[in-house]
Amino acid sequence: MRIDSLRARSDGARSGEVEAGTAPADATTFLDPAVLSRIGNLELLARTVVEGFINGLHRSPHLGMSLDFAEHRAYMPGDDIRRIDWRLWARTDRYYIKEFEADTNTNFSILLDVSASMSYGSGAVTKLDYAKYLAACLAWFAHGQRDRVGLVTFDADIVEFVPPSAKHLSAVLHIIARARAEHPGKLREPLVKLSEHVRRRSMILLISDLYAEPDQVLDALEHLRQRGNDVMVVHVLDPAELEFPFDETGTFEDIETGERIPLVPGRLREKYRAMIRAHIAELGRRIGEQNMDYTMFDTSRPLDYALFDFLSRRERLIRVR
Amino acid sequence: MPSLLAPWFLLGLAALAVPVLVHLTHRERKAVLRFPSLMFLERIPYQSVKRQRIRNLLLFALRCAAVALLVLAFARPFLARRSALLGATTGARDVVVLLDRSYSMAYGDRWTRARSAARRVVEGLGGEDRGAVVYFDDAAAATGPLTSDRSALLAAVDSVRPTAGGTRYDAALRVAGQILGDTAHERREVVLISDAQRAGWNRRELPALPGGVRLVQVNVGDGVTSDVAVTAVEVRHEGGIAGAGATAGITGSAGASGTNPDRSGAQRHTATVVARLANRSADSVSARTVTLEVNGRVQQSVVTDIPPNGTAMARFDALPLPDGVSRGTVRAGADALEPDNTFHFTLTRTPSLPVILLESSSTAPGAGLFVGRALSIGNRPSFDVTTARGSGLTLAALRGARLVILNDAPVPGGEAGRRLLDYVSGGGGLLIALGAHSRPDDWPELSDRLLPRLAAPIDRLDTHGATLGFLDRTHPIFNVFSTPHSGDFSAARFYRYWNVTPAPGDRELARFDDGHVALLERRVGRGRVLVLTSALDGVWSDFPLQPIFLPVLREAATYAAGYSETRPWAVVGDVTTIAASATPAVAVAPSGTRLHLGTSGEPAALQLAEQGFYEIRPDRGASDSTRVVAVNVDLAESDLAPLDTALFAAAVAPLATATGSRRPSETISPAELERRQRTWWFLLLAALLVLGAETVLSNRLPRQAR
Repeated sequence: MRIDSLRARSDGARSGEVEAGTAPADATTFLDPAVLSRIGNLELLARTVVEGFINGLHRSPHLGMSLDFAEHRAYMPGDDIRRIDWRLWARTDRYYIKEFEADTNTNFSILLDVSASMSYGSGAVTKLDYAKYLAACLAWFAHGQRDRVGLVTFDADIVEFVPPSAKHLSAVLHIIARARAEHPGKLREPLVKLSEHVRRRSMILLISDLYAEPDQVLDALEHLRQRGNDVMVVHVLDPAELEFPFDETGTFEDIETGERIPLVPGRLREKYRAMIRAHIAELGRRIGEQNMDYTMFDTSRPLDYALFDFLSRRERLIRVR
Repeated sequence: MPSLLAPWFLLGLAALAVPVLVHLTHRERKAVLRFPSLMFLERIPYQSVKRQRIRNLLLFALRCAAVALLVLAFARPFLARRSALLGATTGARDVVVLLDRSYSMAYGDRWTRARSAARRVVEGLGGEDRGAVVYFDDAAAATGPLTSDRSALLAAVDSVRPTAGGTRYDAALRVAGQILGDTAHERREVVLISDAQRAGWNRRELPALPGGVRLVQVNVGDGVTSDVAVTAVEVRHEGGIAGAGATAGITGSAGASGTNPDRSGAQRHTATVVARLANRSADSVSARTVTLEVNGRVQQSVVTDIPPNGTAMARFDALPLPDGVSRGTVRAGADALEPDNTFHFTLTRTPSLPVILLESSSTAPGAGLFVGRALSIGNRPSFDVTTARGSGLTLAALRGARLVILNDAPVPGGEAGRRLLDYVSGGGGLLIALGAHSRPDDWPELSDRLLPRLAAPIDRLDTHGATLGFLDRTHPIFNVFSTPHSGDFSAARFYRYWNVTPAPGDRELARFDDGHVALLERRVGRGRVLVLTSALDGVWSDFPLQPIFLPVLREAATYAAGYSETRPWAVVGDVTTIAASATPAVAVAPSGTRLHLGTSGEPAALQLAEQGFYEIRPDRGASDSTRVVAVNVDLAESDLAPLDTALFAAAVAPLATATGSRRPSETISPAELERRQRTWWFLLLAALLVLGAETVLSNRLPRQAR
């Protein structure tokens, strides 16, 4: 998807948001066929074993039916005699049960940051729009591989919570369409609260601009990670936040806190760029050290390309493991 | 020597701080930029705006220069030449003394003080100085050219007295400007000695004195004034015509003469006079005695109170009016300003216009009932109607008549017809109502000169009569009916009327709904002929039975008789005309001055300059044809409210002469000098150029450097 089409869809998304107060927004507003076709031949696989009920693409902590042999164990009364390895019985005259690794589906929860800072956009597309596209596409994508899809929007607290379910895709898309970035946000409190509600090991995708110190970010993510979840962090930033292209002397106002400081941007630009780059690098390094995925998405980059890179890189990493 | 006309505008140089601050603070764009988070920005020690330096000195200089030029332009600089500013302080002077002689100068001792001030000015003239005395009221006149003869000037001052005229400063200033416009002396002054009345300047543009002329105002007015004035007099006539002589002796050869039965015998004619008085002071006037004089004899007196700055009415009892013109005067006692305490007016009996109502000898008696009754009502004017029959119009009867009415009667032939034609040509009025006895076949040839050609009567009985479809409401007869609800003409029905063909020059005043002429006017010589194409008998039409009949007939008779009311008084400065028939004439002014007016056969005009009664009579005519004109002062002059002398001086501020023949040593005020040099204009132009350069430079510089 090119930025033009993204912009056009972004406008549609805004209008959908406006209408959300009076009528349900179009749930598929943020689904882009171009993006979906681009990533259609990829898989979003859990890096860890996940628990599911049905067959899927992810490794299950339990043994079950699949083509991958896991182990032999002694036959216990009650075991299915069809799973007895008769060849081994012929060699050892003992009954062994042949067990296979199980492939199962998983819970795929998207944590979407809707704090006010996400409403920023130097161009036609705000970070929230970009994040909505990303969330919607991945939700559709996960649903297509029979994962249970859930959504959590949060700012300083949890705003909307849709528990993972195979039937919740439309609800997820509705919530995505209705999401608005209006209030100041925090990272740790909502994530800690959310981690207490995740009962089953799941795939968790956090989409945020991560305006917090790396220690705070890691602290927040750690609660999710400790539950055995496969945590992916998508760091969404506007190009203006990366390049700081401002020239005019003026007053800068924090969107969330309303704090104002007069600045001469030309004098700060290089220092700012260095600081944001260091911030991104620090996050990437430390999140990676915690066995979590970290990707920075620049909203000026077409979403399909960015998403393709993200998924394909993730596939490669899983194969390496 | 450079100077500034408005140096306080230099305070605007403080605005130079603006570009300095702009360049230092670099905050010309005040928009707040919203940013997702200041987390990183707050860590960077941002540079305070105070630490900025002026980055583009050329831009800064241009901005400062623009501000400075603007400030300097508003300060209105000029190059003052010492000689020009100071003016000529030495050398001979030309001084024009403008001496107000309006009647308001008679208030208290104003005139004495004014004359003393004028004498002082004349006596203050140096050996080579010249002076001129101009006295003015409604008009201005110089006693002579500029002269160094002080005794002649003093004599001129002493010869002037207050008149009954008002005040007009513009006339005086115009004369002063003419006198000083061509003088050779360098120092020129106008000394205006007056009571500085506001009424003398109607706030229209005053003639400017020539450049360099100094205006000195000597105000002899009083701070607080009090005055009682008689502002108007209303005369209410009562009663009818007086004297049995109103029945003019008209004898008809065929019919008997007669008079209107209601108008036989003398009636008492009285008039009630009501005078309006005004008190122009902050104090009330109590028990002021107001007297009424008629022909020089005090008739009545009333005592009245007048509230402060208010008016009161003095009502006199009805008094009998003698024959002829009486001279009435209302006097409201004495105060500091005498002329407006007296009000003159003329009292005349309401004129009674002799009218001959000529009827056909074959008509039944009483056919002219409607006409006679209509003309007998009202007294402004009253009509003295004499009915005659047949064609025996005598010369004596026609000589005294103002109007002849042919009521359903043929135009008399023979000698009577010629007399009638001569009568109309000489200014008499003729009103013809055509009816059943109007037989054009039997009419004499001269009738074509009096009325249009008749074709045949038109009968509209089958259509319930005709109505009036067109009225020329611009004509004096119908002018009083021009406003809405002023008379219902549509109610009148005309069942028969003559079809007449107007001749060129005839004026159609009314037409029926089918387009035929209803009323027509023809001028014959100096007389007026009105032709009504339907009869006034109540048979051919019901017009005489309609309410509109009475006013229409009276207006038509008044117009045909050429009657117009005259005002019972005039105002000083008015001009009265003497008809050509009355010239040459002699006018005797209230002061007794005899004025010979006009030549024989030519109209003359007389400007009324004195308060009182003018008598105008033919030079060698009979005394009974004397005309009396009452003249009063202009009451606007009795308003003694003072003038804003500063405003007045500004209005006549010396300006440059159009020829530009100014001498270098003339006195020129700084404002005048600055106005001529117009340095501010060049400074403003320079500021605009600098701002343009600044715009170009600013656009070319990168945004960061602005």
